[in-house]
This record gives sequence, structure tokens and C-alpha cells, in this order.
Amino acid sequence: MNHHQLQRRLFEYSTAFLFLFSLILTLSPAVRERTWATDLRGDHWIGFAAWFALTAFASRVTSRRLPETDPFLFPAASLLSGWGLLTIWRLDPYSGARQTVWLAAALAAYLLALRFPADLSFLRRYKYLSLLGGILLTALTLIFGSNPSGFGPRLWIGGADVYLQPSEPLKLLLVIYLAAYLADRLPVETFDNLRAKSIRQIASIPLIIPTLAMTGLSLVILIVQRDLGTASIFILIYTIILFLATGKRRVLLVTAAGLMLAAFVGYFFVDIIHARLDAWLNPWSDPSGRSYQIIQSLLAIANGGTLGRGAGLGSPTLVPVAISDFIFIAISEETGLLGAIGLLVLIGLLLTRGLRAALLAPSRFQRLLAGGLTAYLGVQSLLILGGNLRLLPLTGVTLPFVSYGGSSLVTSFLALAILLRIVSQPEDEPAPLATPRPYAFLAGLFALGLFASALSTGWWSVIRSPDLLTRTDNARRSIADRYVRRGSLLDRDNQRITVTNTNGSPFVREYFYPDLAPVTGYTHPVYGQAGLEASLDGYLRGFEGNPSSLIWWHHLLYGTPPPGLDVRLSIDLNLQKEADAQLGEHTGAIILLNARSGEILAMVSHPTYDPNLLDETGEGLQTNPAAPLVNRAAQGSYPAASLLPPLLAARFGQDAPPAADLIHGFYNLLGFYSAPDLRLPVGTPSRFGEIENLHVSPLQMVLAFAPLSNHGILTAPRIALAVDTPAQGWVILPANREPLEVMDEAGARLAAESLQVADQPYWRYGARVSEKGKSFTWFVAGTLPNWQGTPLTLIVLLEEDNASLANSLGEALLLEALMP
Amino acid sequence: MSGIIVLGLRLVLAACLYFFLGWALFTLWKDLQTHGVSLAIRKTPPLSLTLHHAGGETSQRAFHQSDISIGRDPACDLSLNDDGVSARHARLSFHHGQWWAEDLGSTNGTRLNQSALATPTVLTSGDQIECGHTAIIVSIGAAIDPSPTIRL
Repeated sequence: MNHHQLQRRLFEYSTAFLFLFSLILTLSPAVRERTWATDLRGDHWIGFAAWFALTAFASRVTSRRLPETDPFLFPAASLLSGWGLLTIWRLDPYSGARQTVWLAAALAAYLLALRFPADLSFLRRYKYLSLLGGILLTALTLIFGSNPSGFGPRLWIGGADVYLQPSEPLKLLLVIYLAAYLADRLPVETFDNLRAKSIRQIASIPLIIPTLAMTGLSLVILIVQRDLGTASIFILIYTIILFLATGKRRVLLVTAAGLMLAAFVGYFFVDIIHARLDAWLNPWSDPSGRSYQIIQSLLAIANGGTLGRGAGLGSPTLVPVAISDFIFIAISEETGLLGAIGLLVLIGLLLTRGLRAALLAPSRFQRLLAGGLTAYLGVQSLLILGGNLRLLPLTGVTLPFVSYGGSSLVTSFLALAILLRIVSQPEDEPAPLATPRPYAFLAGLFALGLFASALSTGWWSVIRSPDLLTRTDNARRSIADRYVRRGSLLDRDNQRITVTNTNGSPFVREYFYPDLAPVTGYTHPVYGQAGLEASLDGYLRGFEGNPSSLIWWHHLLYGTPPPGLDVRLSIDLNLQKEADAQLGEHTGAIILLNARSGEILAMVSHPTYDPNLLDETGEGLQTNPAAPLVNRAAQGSYPAASLLPPLLAARFGQDAPPAADLIHGFYNLLGFYSAPDLRLPVGTPSRFGEIENLHVSPLQMVLAFAPLSNHGILTAPRIALAVDTPAQGWVILPANREPLEVMDEAGARLAAESLQVADQPYWRYGARVSEKGKSFTWFVAGTLPNWQGTPLTLIVLLEEDNASLANSLGEALLLEALMP
Repeated sequence: MSGIIVLGLRLVLAACLYFFLGWALFTLWKDLQTHGVSLAIRKTPPLSLTLHHAGGETSQRAFHQSDISIGRDPACDLSLNDDGVSARHARLSFHHGQWWAEDLGSTNGTRLNQSALATPTVLTSGDQIECGHTAIIVSIGAAIDPSPTIRL
């Protein structure tokens, strides 16, 4: 097969790949919203058409002008650039349109460069002039520099919407200069006989001084600009070219030691280096600050998995600067591990063919030039890939051919053209080569880097993926909520409390009974989750209760969990409304408990808030001194000692108070020293052994008094009763523990009867406490043991000294529940 | 429905990428194969040497390798029992499609067709190499039957 046919074949595969990519991107809104009645995406087809026309033309011209040149380099580069272009269109159509224009400019420059004379002698002749020109242009950014995004380092020059980053072409000029200088000046012996001279001798001849000076000059400008990524690329390019020219491994060792030292010193004295290294070494310690970028990029890779979410179906826009520095992450999320490995192999193909071009080059200059250009492409690719994958500290450089950025694209295509020009005359005898060792070493280095990147992608996308995706800072969870129905919260008679409105797009969570908000909580993209929305998230989001095959299938198709399951609560909305009305504007909590089954019929915490208005009020709620977000009934902690005599009497009789360790054992049995175990966020309990200073939540208190109405049996609390699964219908959610006898039946009955209200079927007790200048009022009441209906226990807590209110509203509520 | 269609497209997309890579790698492998084959069929033409020793006797040797060392040292491919020959005297090698003769810094020097051999020089059939008191006539290509004469 000749080169022309091979190029065409590869071009056909690239076209098919990018066509399918565009097609998936077009269909992506329909998949995301699971309906055809939506607007499909179409603007990126401009990018595809432009890529097709430009590449077809450039490919044709390449094989006409240089029929014998390398047949892999151009197809690989054009596939990479097309892939990048469409990814940019997907992320941001405006940037996509700009990049399309830049692609045209880059290919024009490429075609122009293909006309260079074969020996590239003019590059060699004007090496100083061109490099100094480049340095001067870069230096101008110190004065006239700007940043197209309006903030950040000012590395660009230009205006009127056209910006040039001079450090990009400067890399190319540096490679040309170094190749030309070393080819001219380095004694032939160092090429032909490596043993003849040691590096010290070469350095002692003031041979490499000019190269050091020129490279140093470029570096100074870059360091002043704080463009540390590009600066490290310059150092590495310089090292590799010197290594290729001299074959001395010491060159590499010296640079490695120097870079390490610079990193070490920079860590302690330079803020930006400190920040970058910190974010690299311990990203998990500051996930929302310095390591936000890297954590978000790892989350994106994790979301990609093996096959990827499909073009347009991931959320790579969550990663900052996904279009340039982090484009590999965007590609990885949407085409998965398969796509990422394909991309790495493409880069590998490009680099191997580049090194082959260097080995086959007919002159020393061309060999060093090809080697240097390959080093530039390889080093830059590996630096940013390693930074994206947390293999290396993050350096803000572009991925050649793929990332957004005109200067980078033009430079990469110019480098490609020079490589193709060098390898275009296969009948020329390759120049003599002293030893293939440096080239083999460089190839090994590239292979190692790409292999490590592939392994690391696999690690984050497959092995660590499940853990990463459940992190709360994974915004994909709340994005999924906009397109997947979240389960409803229903009261015990299936009245709606909280449901997701699926009529619009995106979906909206609606809270029908906002007064219950401290208990049921909220789910919100910014403020996260609270209350039952948080503790029942597994069912409501569909991760629990659904068959795992369904979960897998939905993740494969849509990258989201399946529709969520409805949960039925023990709350009786009628009683709840009554209790809310009774408590009114007072601060406090009420719980009405079924003393036998442990079901919580009403749970009130005031003040409350409206979760429907969280967008506007969320900020203020968190700092509100009245703490409306706290569920006082379950998370509050109030001084309890003065309410407890009836319980002690029920257990130990009316005699003198028992020994402390007996009380400890009893309180422990009643659950005062442990958090109640039910599917609801509760507060932390008092330490074991507290008696006088015991603090309990109203929930703990009502559970402890329930045995008086339930023959001495401590019931287990329940608030979530059942979940509606697709396979088995309503499935009961049992209590988390068994009921427990905590006092004998006679003691419980005696205690209850001693507190009985005349002519009424219930007992009651109250207490007033004050602590640190604040007053609290407790009121507890419950049905007598011989009550024939449902045994109930009620607790009222007021954060004020108001016994009569507590009494009256408690009794009214209990009567309402007993005789509706 | 849209999800299933797009899932199919995503699979075909991955296949396209790997067709590209697979085709590129397959071509590279084919290249390597044809390269190897073309190297394998490129044989070293055998070299026959006719030696005229100082004592007047004559012998013939045929070589099939591409590198022949000449010297007094018995480890040499062509070992000459001749006082005028250094231990490692000269070397004949095949590269760049030619047989080359090269003096290895011998004490008495090597002569090719009566003139001193200073740099590696291309050999042709009929060339005469002199090492010490021994003259060697070179014949490239057709191997000479090692059994010298037919008894009549």
C-alpha cells in the first residue's frame, strides 16, 4: 500500500469518528432530557464541515508536494485537532467558532511551511535573528501584555479580538536556534566518538555558553511573567536537545537535580509554586480551594468510566478551563477510558514517527531539529497530561493540536510541517549517528509517560470511580436531579409533602408543606441536603431499592441514577398541621409519638423556613441567630434533669434516690447517652454518666416517657415507614432495633396513674428549667396504660418560661389526637 | 429510546477510533515485515581468496560471512603463518553493497595491487592484496569448489 492510499484510509476513519462525534453531540439534548421534544444541537456541524474541507485539502496538498513523506504524522495530527475542535465546540460554541478560524490559519501556515527548501538552510542561517525577534515579542508582553479573559497572567499580545501568545512560537524558534547552533559548533567527534570528550570538556570550550545565554534570556522573561509551565518546557527542551547532541546522560541528571532544587526552594519562597505543589501533594485537604481544579478533573474522569458518557452528555464544563488546559479531562469524561487510551496512542504514534524522522534525517542540523520538535510536542503533552491526572504538579500549558488556543495550534502545525519536510526524502542517506542511545532513551521516556497516563486514567475512571462519584462536591448529582425524577416524600395517608415537579425542564423540587422543613429538609444544588432528604437520599435518588441491573443500565445510557423511589413517612399531616398551628410563633419543639409502634405522628420545630425559597434566602438562613435550619425536636439539646423524677419513680419506687450507677444504667437503657437510631439526622447525645447536667433532645425525652403509656416497654422510633419499589411495591422499612422492657409494668402503671388528670384518659407532667440566662419549659403527656385506642405520648418544649402555654397546647393537641 | 440509539453510536465511535489506530499499527507492522524480508534476501556475495604463500605453494579459501579478519593470530578468520604479518593485520568487510579492504595498523602494511592500502578501499574480482610475504587474489561472487582438482 502506498503512502497516498494509507493517508486516505486514515483520513476516512478520522472523518467517520468525527462525524459520529458530531451526531452524538447533536442528539445529546434528547438523551439528557429523555424526550425528542427538545432543541437538538447543530452549530458544531460548522466546525465539522470546516475541519473536513480544510483537512481534505491539506492532506491532498501534502501527498502531492511530499509524496514520500511520513504517512502517519499528518493523519494523527489532523484527527487530534478535529477531536479537539469538536470538543471545544461542545464546551463553548463561541470558542469553537474561534478555534475553527484558527484551524484554518494553522493549516495555511502548515501548507506554507511545506514549501520550505528541503535542507531548511534559511532557518539555520537566521537562527539568532529569529530567536531574538521571538524573545523581543515575548518581552513586549511585559509592557503591552493582556489576557483575553480579562484577568490572570498577561501572556498575550494583541487586541480587537485577535490575541497571540508569543511564548508559543518562541518554543519553535528556540528549538531551531539550538539545533542550528549545536549542529554548527559542536565538534564532530562528539557525534562520532562519544568517549572522546566528557561533558566538562565540552562545557569548558565556551561552546554551550551562547545557548545557555539565549535560553536563559527567554527563561527570565517567562519567569517574570510567572508563566512557569512554559518555563519548565523551555528548560526541558534545552536539556533534551543538548542530550541528543552530546549523548551525555549527565545533562539530564543535572537538569533533574536543578528542577527538583527549584521546586524545593520555590515551595518555601514562591507563593504560586507553593500553591501548585500543595494542591498536587494533598489535594483532598482543600477540595473547594486550591485543589478545586484537580479534584473536579478527577471527578470528571471518574464520571467518564470505561466507555464515557458520550459527547455532550457529561458535565466537563464543571472543570475550570476545560477548553484549554483541561481538555484531556473533557475528552476523558465524554469518551471514557477507551477514548483516553486512544488519544494517548495517537500522541504516541505522533512522537514515535517524529523520533523516526530524527533518526532518518540527512544532516545533523535536521536530525537535531526533528528531535527537538518531537521533544517539544512530547514534553508539552506529557506535562499537561500528568498535571491533569495528578501525576505531576499542574502547569498551565496546552495539549498540542487538541487544546483551545490559536498560537499553540499554529505552532504545533508548523512543527509538524518541518518534521514532514525533514523526512520527505527517504532516498537520502541518513547522517552518521554516533550512538542511538539518546533517541532510544527519549522514546522510552515518552512511552513511559504515556503508559503512566493511561494507567492513571484507568485508576481514576474505573477503580476509584465509585468512591469519587458519591462525594458531595460532585455537582453531577444535583445536575442529575434536574433530569431524573427524585422520589416523593408522602405522609402516612399518602398525602404529598415533598415532590419533584416533572412537568417542566429542568425538574423542580416542590415542598408542599414548608412548615415541616426542619424535619424533611431540602435538596439544593448549592446548599446540599438536610433532614430526611439527606438521610433517605439513597431511596429518593434511586440508588437503594432499585435492582442493580437497572442502576447499571441507567448509568450506561444516561450517566444518571434511575428514577427515585417514593418514601412514606409516619407523619400524619392533619395532626402535624394542628401542632404547627398550636405552637405558632413560639420557639420550641413538639413530638407526638405512637408509644407502641414508635411511629412519629407529628414532629414540630419552630421557627421554620420555606425550602421553596432557598435560592433567595439560603445565605441568610445559615447565619440566622434563631437557627431555623436546626430540627429542634431531634437535634436540639436541652437540660433535662428536672423532668425526670416520674421516670425514676416508675423504675425505683418513691423511696430515697438510688445510687448513681443504677441511675446510669437506667438512663443508658432509656437512650439518654446514645443517639436515637432512626432514618433522620439527630444531635449528639450527652456523655455517659451525666445526671444533673444531662441534656437530651425532645425526641430522646418522648421515647423515654413512652413506656409509661406502653406497659414499661421502650419502643423503637420510626419516621420512614415504607418505600415504593418497582419490583415489590411498598416495602416496609422496619425499625432499627427491637422494643425493650425498661421498667416493670406495675411501676409504669403506678407512675402514669399518679400523674393522671382527673376525668381524663391521660397523664401529664411539666418542668421549668433555666440555664445560662435562658429559660425552657418541658411538658410531657401520654395515654394511660388502660386506654383502648392507640397509645400516644407527646412532648412539648418551649424555649421560654411559659408553663401555661405548654400545658394548654399540649393537652389540646393530645385530645385532638385521641378524639378527632 | 434516544439513549439506546446514542449508546450504539458511542460504541461505533469507539470502534472508529480503534480502526484508525489498528490500521496505523497494522501498516507499521506490515512495513516492518517487508523491511525484514528485503534485508533477509539481501545476501552477502561469497568471497574466495587464492593464497600464494612465500614458499610458493598455493591454497584456496571461500568465505560466506560479511567480515573477515586476516592476521598471524590463529583466532583470525584467515590465519597466515608468515613472519611479515602482524597478529591482526587487515580486514575485509561487506557493507554499502561492496566488499572493502582495510589495514588494521599492521607493522609492515598492506598493499593492494602494488600500492599501499591507506584508507578502506572497495575490492573487485582479481584484485591482489599483499600481507607480509603472502599474496591474496580476490574473487567475488561465484564460489570456487573447495576440492582443488579432479584426479585423472
